[in-house]
This record gives sequence, C-alpha cells and structure tokens, in this order.
Amino acid sequence: MRRSRVSKRYAKALLSLGMEEGRYQEYGKELRDFADFYESHGELNQAIANPAFTLEDRKEILNALLARGAASETIRNFLNLLLDKNRISALAEISVFYGQLTDEVSNIVRAEVVVPRPLAGEAETKLGRALEQMTSKKVRMNVRQDQSILGGIIVKIGDLVVDGSVKAQVQGIKESLKRGE
Amino acid sequence: MDTYPKNRKRLWFAVGCFAVGSVLLSSFALAAGGGADRSGDLLDLLYRWINFTLLVIILVVVLRKVPVKEYFDSRVEGIKKELEDLKKQREAAEKKAQELESKLKAFEGERKEILAQYKADGLAEKERILAEARDRAKQLLEQADVSIQYELQTAKEKLKDEVVAVAAQKAEEIIAREMTDRDQDRLVNEFIEKLGKTH
Repeated sequence: MRRSRVSKRYAKALLSLGMEEGRYQEYGKELRDFADFYESHGELNQAIANPAFTLEDRKEILNALLARGAASETIRNFLNLLLDKNRISALAEISVFYGQLTDEVSNIVRAEVVVPRPLAGEAETKLGRALEQMTSKKVRMNVRQDQSILGGIIVKIGDLVVDGSVKAQVQGIKESLKRGE
Repeated sequence: MDTYPKNRKRLWFAVGCFAVGSVLLSSFALAAGGGADRSGDLLDLLYRWINFTLLVIILVVVLRKVPVKEYFDSRVEGIKKELEDLKKQREAAEKKAQELESKLKAFEGERKEILAQYKADGLAEKERILAEARDRAKQLLEQADVSIQYELQTAKEKLKDEVVAVAAQKAEEIIAREMTDRDQDRLVNEFIEKLGKTH
C-alpha cells in the first residue's frame, strides 16, 4: 500500500513535468517501453535492483542501456532518480500509474472487452461509440477472446462490469431454477 | 425371714440335748445290768421308765423352749410368700407375653402397612418411569421427524441442484456447439443497442 502511494507520487511528478513540457504522452510511451523491457529481462532486473552491487556500477549499467535506446533526457534522469532512491523495482507500477494519470488528463478510459470470437469491424466501431456515449470519454478498447463465455460480450471499464455473455445468462437461469422461481 | 435360722438353731439344740440324755441313760442301764436276774429286769424296767419320763420331760422342756410352731408358721409364711412371688412372676410373665403378642400383632399390621406403602410407591414410580419413557419416546420421534424432514429437504435441494447443474452444463454444451457467427453478431448488436438505450 505504501509502495503504491510512493509509486503514484513519482508518476504524478513525472506527469506534471511532462505536462509543463507538453510531452507527457511521449514520456508515457518511453517509460512504458523501458518498464516492459526491464520487467521482461530478469537478469537485468536482478543486476540493477541488487544492492550487492555498488550504486555507481548499477548506474553505469542503466545508463549504458539508456544510451542504446532513444529515451529522452527527462526519462533518463527520472530512471536515475529511481535508482538513487532505490525505487527502481517499482518501475512497472509507476508506469501503470502514469498511464492511468495520462488517460485521465487526456479524458481517456480503457475498456477490456471479452468476446468468444473476433468482433466484426463495424461492431467494434459501434461498441466503441456506445461506450464513449456511456462514459462521456474517449475509449481505448482492449479486445480479448475467451470461448468460455459461450457467446455475447463482456465489457469492463475500471470497476464497472457489463456482462452480456451467454454464460452469464445461463448462470442466471440456473440460479433462478435453484431458487425455484 | 430372720426368725427362721434362729428357730432352726433351737431345734438342733433340743435334738442334741435329747441325744446326749439318751446316751447317758442307756449307759447307766447297761452298767446296772450286771446284778441279779429278776431284780435286774425290774430295775431295767424302772430305768427304762425313768429314761422315758426324762425323755418326755426333756422333750416338753425342749419343745417349749424351741419355737417349733413359729418355725413351721414362718415356714408356711415363706412358702406362701414364695407362692405369691411365683404367682406374681407368672402374672408378669403372662402380661409380658400378652404385650409381646399385641406387639407382634401391631408389627404384623405395620408390616402390612409398610408393604402396602412400598407397593404404592413402586406403582407410582413405575407410572412415573413409564410416563417419562413415553415423553422421551415422543421427543425422539419428533426429533427423528424433524431430522427426516431436514434430510429430505436437503436431499431434494441437492437433487435439484444436481439436475439444474447438469441441465446448465448440457445447455452450455449445446449453445457452444450450435452458436454461429450470426448469433454472436446479433448478441453483440443487441448488447450495443442496450448500452445506447441506457445512456
């Protein structure tokens, strides 16, 4: 919980800097890319976050990596700051919070859509429009396939879940029958 | 009772004196027997008379001095008293026997009462135990009835759940098998329409 709060604080600080510079979207992408790279390479993770190595050595590794990439100066400084403050292990969490904050700033909401088979192009567009009307925000959909829902569709936006799946309907009927309705 | 030993002593004294006198006289008579034959017989007779007379005199004197009558009177009195005592003892024994008999009769009555009481108590206890057993049996039957009803209801619900679960499983299998792209599109479109209507 404490770590989440600290991570959110770092994300907010970077966002305010990015907004001042008008580059918060760009910083978000860079941060996300590096966080994905960092999380997907366990050896790197263990080397940079490992206090058994000296801070200078770890910084040297980090900067060597950043020099090979196209990260901006601000992101480089931010990552060095995280290393200095021993918060580099919370990078993935900070990246997620940063994404949420940028979405809020950009009036964007992310929706997870679950379907048993791929959505037709027209249906996806119509669904996006309907969700935008419903939330009064821009909707970024992440469509995922799950055949266990049998048919229909499930939409999750934040804590809101709209379940229009056939499985849910069958479960509803099942519960009604159990109750003797 | 005190006079009895005194009289007895006197009696023994008289008898003693008589015996001593008789012995003395007889010895005189025997001493004199050695003289002439005829005169000796007369003298012997005289001595015998004298002896007899002395004996009578001694007896009279002695008997006068010795209270024989009193002795026999006291003896009679003693015997009477003993008889009275024995009679009293007999009466007391009879009385005691009567008392014991009446007590025995009373005990018999008491015994019957106690037996009757025990019998009544036993019957009451029997009734109480039977009533308790009946109540317990009733309770057990009621509990068994409740348990049966509960088990029956649970079994019904379990069976119903199983039937519903199997039916749902079958329904899901049929839907999964029969669902077409067209059905899926229709469901998605209906979902989108409902979303549009809610806002």
